[in-house]
Amino acid sequence: MEKKLSEMKYGAQGIVKSIKGDLRNKVAGMGIRVNKRIRMATKQPIKGPVVVTVDESNISLGLGIAENIIVEVEK
Amino acid sequence: MRILLMGHPNVGKSVVFNRITGANVTESNYPGTTVDYEKGYVRIGHEEMEVIDVPGTFSLEPKDKAEEVAVKMLERNKDSVVVCIIDSTKIERGLYLALEIIERGSRVVVALNMWDIAEDKNINIDVEKLRQILGVPVVPTIAVSGEGIKELVSRISGATSVKIESVMKNVGGS
Repeated sequence: MEKKLSEMKYGAQGIVKSIKGDLRNKVAGMGIRVNKRIRMATKQPIKGPVVVTVDESNISLGLGIAENIIVEVEK
Repeated sequence: MRILLMGHPNVGKSVVFNRITGANVTESNYPGTTVDYEKGYVRIGHEEMEVIDVPGTFSLEPKDKAEEVAVKMLERNKDSVVVCIIDSTKIERGLYLALEIIERGSRVVVALNMWDIAEDKNINIDVEKLRQILGVPVVPTIAVSGEGIKELVSRISGATSVKIESVMKNVGGS
């Protein structure tokens, strides 16, 4: 099932499907790119940032960025 | 000649800096310790070289003040040798930055730091193959214990710049 990264549940895992155009370069330096496995680590309430795990490292992303990354979520 | 130490935050740039120059800049175990830059000197052969400890940056598109400093340093010192320090346990992210630096035409030496931690985590890196693909010297290092630093320094004067197209070709061919 495809979901926005910002809509993923705690502990959910998935593969990055698409990243909105100009964001692609911005997040590439942090290790997020299409076909990468990603795991939701923490989600801060009230429009706070999300923390995801990619390649053993935690990365926090603003909600604005997380909304523009589409992930194929595994059951 | 100038040597720039570049890499992600928290990969051990300052530790490598201290090892190379014998200086004593602040090291700590959290990212973002170096927000300004530090200068030191090292003698290689008969040449005195200036070593600059650049603040950590994820990419060459700056997102904050420390990254801006880093990118400006690189742009102002086009003829310097860049030692790109990579956390071996997070090698993919580090290679992204290394490629960006190579793409800008700088002479690059890659240091695979925290090699011991990568070994502990069972991460095996084919250094020889990486060397072939990138076409630049690649040296495993453990900065906290000083391992590999001598080899790293010895590779600096022989560094040459590589065309990004040839790196792409090497990737396609393997």
